[in-house]
Amino acid sequence: MANEKKPAAGNRREFVRTHVPLAERVASAIIVVLLAAIGLAIAIKGKHFNPDIFAVRTDSLKSTTAAVVGKGGTAASMPETKTENPVAAEAPKPAAEEGSGEGGAEGSAAAPKPAEKGQPLEIALAGIKPMSDTEFYNSDNLFEKIDGRAPAYQGFNVQALRCRSFNVLAAAGSFVDVYEYRFDSPVDAFGMFALERDPKGQPLDFAPDGYSGEMGYFYRQGAVYVQIIASDVKPETLALTKAIALNRAKELPVDDHGLAGRRKLPAAGMLADSVSFVLENAQGQSDFKDVFQAKYNFDGAVLPYFIMVTQPDDAAKAWKSFQDFCARFGKAEVLPDVNGGKIFSAQVFGKWKVVYQREGELGGVFDATDAGKAQAFIEKYLRGEIK
Amino acid sequence: MKFKFNPQDLLKLRNVRRVAQVFFFSLFLFFVFVTDLRYLKGYPVSLFLELDPLVSFATAITTHTVYMGLMWSLLLILPTLLFGRIFCNWICPYGILHHFTGWLLGKRRANERERIESNRYKKLYSLKYIILIAMIAAAVGGTLQIGWLDPICLFHRSMSTVILPALNLFFPSSIYVRQYFHVGAWIIGFLLLFLVGMNVLIPRFFCRVLCPLGAFLGTLSSVTLWRIDRDPTKCVDCDLCLKNCEGASDPQTQLRKSECFVCFNCIEDCPEDALSFKFMPPLKREVTAPVVPGRRAFLGTLIGLGFYAFGRASGASDRNYDKKVIRPPGSVEEKDFLDRCIKCDQCIRTCPTNVLQPAWMESGIEGIWTPILDMKIGSCDVNCVLCGQVCPTGAIQRISIEEKTGTGPFVKEGPIKLGTAFFDRGRCLPWAMETPCVVCEEVCPVSPKAIFSREVTIIKRDGNPITLRQPYMDPALCIGCGICEHECPVTDEAAIRVTAVGETRSRERRLLMDGGVTGAVMDLEKRQR
Amino acid sequence: MSATNPNEQSVNRREFLVRLGITGALIAGTGLVARKLWQPNHFVPGFEKEKGMQLRSYASEISKVLPSLAIAHGTEHEKTIRAAMTALGGMNRFIQHGDVVMIKPNVAFDRPPALAATTHPDALRAVAKLCFEAGASKVIVADNPINSPTGCFFKSGLTAVAAEMNLDLMYPETNSFAPLSLTGEILKEWTFFNTPFKKATKVIGLAPCKDHNLCHASMTTKNWYGLLGGRRNQFHQHIHSIVSDFALMMKPTLVILDGMNVLMSNGPTGGRLSDVKPMNTIVAGTDMIAVDAYGYSHLLERDIAELTYLHKAQDRGLGNIDWKNTLYKEVQA
Repeated sequence: MANEKKPAAGNRREFVRTHVPLAERVASAIIVVLLAAIGLAIAIKGKHFNPDIFAVRTDSLKSTTAAVVGKGGTAASMPETKTENPVAAEAPKPAAEEGSGEGGAEGSAAAPKPAEKGQPLEIALAGIKPMSDTEFYNSDNLFEKIDGRAPAYQGFNVQALRCRSFNVLAAAGSFVDVYEYRFDSPVDAFGMFALERDPKGQPLDFAPDGYSGEMGYFYRQGAVYVQIIASDVKPETLALTKAIALNRAKELPVDDHGLAGRRKLPAAGMLADSVSFVLENAQGQSDFKDVFQAKYNFDGAVLPYFIMVTQPDDAAKAWKSFQDFCARFGKAEVLPDVNGGKIFSAQVFGKWKVVYQREGELGGVFDATDAGKAQAFIEKYLRGEIK
Repeated sequence: MKFKFNPQDLLKLRNVRRVAQVFFFSLFLFFVFVTDLRYLKGYPVSLFLELDPLVSFATAITTHTVYMGLMWSLLLILPTLLFGRIFCNWICPYGILHHFTGWLLGKRRANERERIESNRYKKLYSLKYIILIAMIAAAVGGTLQIGWLDPICLFHRSMSTVILPALNLFFPSSIYVRQYFHVGAWIIGFLLLFLVGMNVLIPRFFCRVLCPLGAFLGTLSSVTLWRIDRDPTKCVDCDLCLKNCEGASDPQTQLRKSECFVCFNCIEDCPEDALSFKFMPPLKREVTAPVVPGRRAFLGTLIGLGFYAFGRASGASDRNYDKKVIRPPGSVEEKDFLDRCIKCDQCIRTCPTNVLQPAWMESGIEGIWTPILDMKIGSCDVNCVLCGQVCPTGAIQRISIEEKTGTGPFVKEGPIKLGTAFFDRGRCLPWAMETPCVVCEEVCPVSPKAIFSREVTIIKRDGNPITLRQPYMDPALCIGCGICEHECPVTDEAAIRVTAVGETRSRERRLLMDGGVTGAVMDLEKRQR
Repeated sequence: MSATNPNEQSVNRREFLVRLGITGALIAGTGLVARKLWQPNHFVPGFEKEKGMQLRSYASEISKVLPSLAIAHGTEHEKTIRAAMTALGGMNRFIQHGDVVMIKPNVAFDRPPALAATTHPDALRAVAKLCFEAGASKVIVADNPINSPTGCFFKSGLTAVAAEMNLDLMYPETNSFAPLSLTGEILKEWTFFNTPFKKATKVIGLAPCKDHNLCHASMTTKNWYGLLGGRRNQFHQHIHSIVSDFALMMKPTLVILDGMNVLMSNGPTGGRLSDVKPMNTIVAGTDMIAVDAYGYSHLLERDIAELTYLHKAQDRGLGNIDWKNTLYKEVQA
């Protein structure tokens, strides 16, 4: 054995082994392959896992279908502990939904009660999508939506407003606003509708009390005053606006209760946009209630006409008191009866009135400049020549 | 170092060892990073812990079982019995860290003589065997304390509680969505720094002096059939083999088999080609078994047994249990927990809410760095069972979501309860401060809620009445998840706090009488009697 | 690798085989042990089904001739107890030669005997004497008190009796308990003071007659409470169900109700002599419900309708409140 002395200090040259036996090389190769295999195995293992560790199996929730006996829910879910408005706590009624598209209550004798408040306004039509949630207002907070118009609506006993906007899918950015004002009676709905009536509106074939404007449809159906308003005049938007108007006319129940007087208004010669309704104190008379008015073209003149339908006794009384009223402030003259109707004509403050009463019907021409034409109109009407 | 690339070099075992070091260290870092709900998938993130033979050996002593994945440790024990402590230099990520730090900070440019001297075997290196003996003795007594110094446990713990949060402080949201905090992390951090820093003084300080796993593997190495062998006919006693010897195993004389890390540096450094890795070389040229002074071994045994006895006798795991020791869901009973928990803090790493924290003295000296819930920092998500998935020893059992929530097939048993919440009415807004709140009721996740409220109208200080809801607790339903405490607006000390009583894992700590059978539904049935 | 000196370079055959064998054995051994200990499935802690033991019945055959209940009035413990036992047919009816008798007294609290909160030492002495006279080979005395065991036995005077009569006094030690399985109303699985019963062939319950703040009275049925371990304080949430479960759990040979001095108020702990009233009665019987029924109505002098656990037990078929219509005997000592 050579006995090389260890150097006292200093570093020796680095030694690099050159002779690598085969066995070592084979072992090294095997180890490298092994390492790669381990890496691969871990990568594969990483992909295979039981998803139930990370999320709840819906199957396991089956055991929670039964409620626990003896333990209540939170205050919000327990009606007896609530102090808030009980409306929200009511279980949704399975009453006929207005927007569900399941057969409107056409021909139903009684209009659905206003308890429908709370039902979202759903319209089953292709091409539209709700833009937002349905908004609900009652008489007290209606001004939040329509501001200064609210007092007029309140004057006609508005009960609620249900409105919602819908996107027009075919026209980006376009939408249609749907307003449904529910009144306490069809008569009041008509009154409000008539008050806001646009003289330039086109009549509608699907709603006798209705018209269409440049960008919307307005009509009364039942006790609801409906306004469908487009955001722009794109053809797609207008088409859908009309479709929605038709849909609502189909869905909303027809009810003309109390509109008898309205019906009585003869059609011949009537200026279509002139129909209006006065709830009470028409003509300054306290017993003139639910009075319908319209203007007529007759014999070259425009005659304002009013009609009221009530009990025969009340009608007679009202006719008499109106006559006395006119006599006090002007000249009144009883004309001969025509076809069962009593007539008087009066001139008050330069204008002529011809008022008749036949059974429960009380009507007449007022504010006419031509007495003869007024009288002729009334007599013709009473004789059934003006329908 | 000259980097002349020679294809032959690639297939030298020493170089393959370097490849393996990079591979396993990267794998370790990958596992640590991926232990997060977002990335976890099916990766076996506790693989290093499951491979750790000391973990399976020690838990086999304390629990008389080998829990689930710990069987993997056979994969390491078998090669160790054949080849020696290959783990220490090829696989152990902590050892690789120390190897790297030593190379970086050590006597790299210092002269050769110093390097050689620093790698000679020192008697100090027998300390790790004393430590191992003490830990085994403690395990025999009945408490598992290997986690203090087992390298994989230590490294995992350091990463989970302090390194990753530190990284996240410097690079926000790189590790966690929101910064994680761990109580007492500074101790763990400085300990790591100290151990790693000691490589400056003694190369592979931890591995040679303290590592109980190294000691265990070293003991197993006594029967290896392969080892580094020095051919005395070729050897010129130049001691160059010591220059880069990692294990300080004296390859220049009789190799200490229990110290050799099988790093193959000596084979590369010997200019006479006198060293090789041989099958069954003669016994007289080796030191077969570890050299452990008998008296010190005895002392070690006493210390270990004492640790168990003195720790238990202090009562923290028995009747004097701390109300703040709320263990993760799926945890075994406290005494069994201390038999199983290796303080690896994998559960703390994976917890998505940061509620798990390393304990200090709450569960006594045995429970240091074991996981407890701190509801001030987080709360236990009801439908989460991640901690049990990553626990390698079954201190937290691998329960399913259904077992935790008591649904599906486990509806009769009912949910696992971690503890029970109690109101502190003096701090509660509606009870003491005329102020509406009941956030606790809102966030209570069980149905029916364990917190319910009653409406009451009181006259405030200013004379005006106020109607508000005052909360109450229903202990039959409370699962101790702590979200009420966590969300309570009184954030310094919540007006509702969870304590450990009522936890279902322990029969003695149940709050409500239920005939020994837990079940919120069944309990309700009985209470109607 | 050059092989210049064969002896130095390689290993001899024998050594080779030995080393190979050792390593191989270690490998195989490790593998086998690991396989044996392997726990491949998890469990849910706290919900494990415990296999509890069940107590056997220690009751004697029901006699159609001899009374099942005996009431004896007297002024001295031993005389009165003897009188009661004689009325039942003598201790021989119950205890035979060679029997190991387990007497379960009530020593829940560390009270002196005069306060009537615990079994009186004279009563224990008398019963033990009778057992030995009947041929018992061993008499065990055991209870799991609420206060400290050593203190309770000592201050109640029973430690002295045990020493005097050479009785086997068993304290409730750490390893004295085992899980019990029962199909009770509330009691299903619980830890039970098992050791005294390992060798016992006959069981006698020896209870004082006491007022109880929660369940109205503590007599021979509630006496068995002292055999339960763990956190018994949870039982108070369903106390009447639990007490009626005891009638299911334990079928003793005999129960004796010591009504010589009765704790009438502030029970079960008492604390003043003013709480104690001498009723000078011993009730012995095979049916603890019947014995308790007598005790509540005649010794504590209360309305039996309010003693819920009695009615529960009767409804479950575990006893008969209506002792008057059974075979009973009332005697004067």
